[in-house]
Amino acid sequence: MDVEKLKEDWVGLEFDVVEFEMSGEEMVAWAETCGETAPRFTDPGDPDFQAPATFTAKFLGRRAFPKGFPQIGRGPGFDAGKSVEIHAPVRPGDVLTARSHIADIYPKTGRSGPMLFIVHRMIFENQNGDRVSVVDWRRVLQPEEKLS
Amino acid sequence: MSDGKRRLFSQVELGDELPDLHPDVSMPVVYRFAHDAAYMPAARFIDHEGARKEGLPAAIVPGIMSQGLLASLVHRWCPEANILRIDTIFRAPVLVDSDPVCRGVVTATDDESRTVEIDLTIVNESNETRVVGTAHVALPVD
Repeated sequence: MDVEKLKEDWVGLEFDVVEFEMSGEEMVAWAETCGETAPRFTDPGDPDFQAPATFTAKFLGRRAFPKGFPQIGRGPGFDAGKSVEIHAPVRPGDVLTARSHIADIYPKTGRSGPMLFIVHRMIFENQNGDRVSVVDWRRVLQPEEKLS
Repeated sequence: MSDGKRRLFSQVELGDELPDLHPDVSMPVVYRFAHDAAYMPAARFIDHEGARKEGLPAAIVPGIMSQGLLASLVHRWCPEANILRIDTIFRAPVLVDSDPVCRGVVTATDDESRTVEIDLTIVNESNETRVVGTAHVALPVD
């Protein structure tokens, strides 16, 4: 499998756009179950009430890969990690638009053989067009053929 | 836990350790997270038997919840902190109904931006690392 060719074909291509309405109840549930104690995360009456920092990491697009992306290995792979950049607070009632693209593709070799990391990036903007967060979701696929 | 005091950038030094956080990852809490916060009610998160059928040792804490626990560790240390970026690697599962510990240590400070870098980990009862991460955090200056 030619990793450089995969990158050339797929990195940077926007393949999904989804809207999400932000719920204050879900923000409180997230904050309380994750152990937040600051009122700006737990109390909807706080003047600065906002979503916990990593809240947007929960949103998934309609698809994990672009249409036509090759099947690599068996199954959907596994979630190897998440990175969240926080640009601005997310408030209840905000409507976020998330745009997805593949940000990077890179190989690694592990104990169980070759692994291919696919970085699925979702960029979230609010209803005013302000960027509020960027979430990178690193999915690991285990190809059955050699990577080059 | 937070010591209840404001923590300013000028008070933080390289190598400072954040107070350990012993999060509640019991089934009722993880169930609530999965149902009410994240809407990801998969068996592997909320049902030990269902998780075992998928080859896991028990139900596992969702990765995004582990990341949320680490964000909470930072805010308990400094309630006014603003996390600018947090990156986590899910090395191994954190099990539901286990007794993990979240830890953090300041590894860099930047006088110009008044920000710090914090290395983050979640370890299990055997002190085995399950999640590692870093956070870039802005701290209050006055």
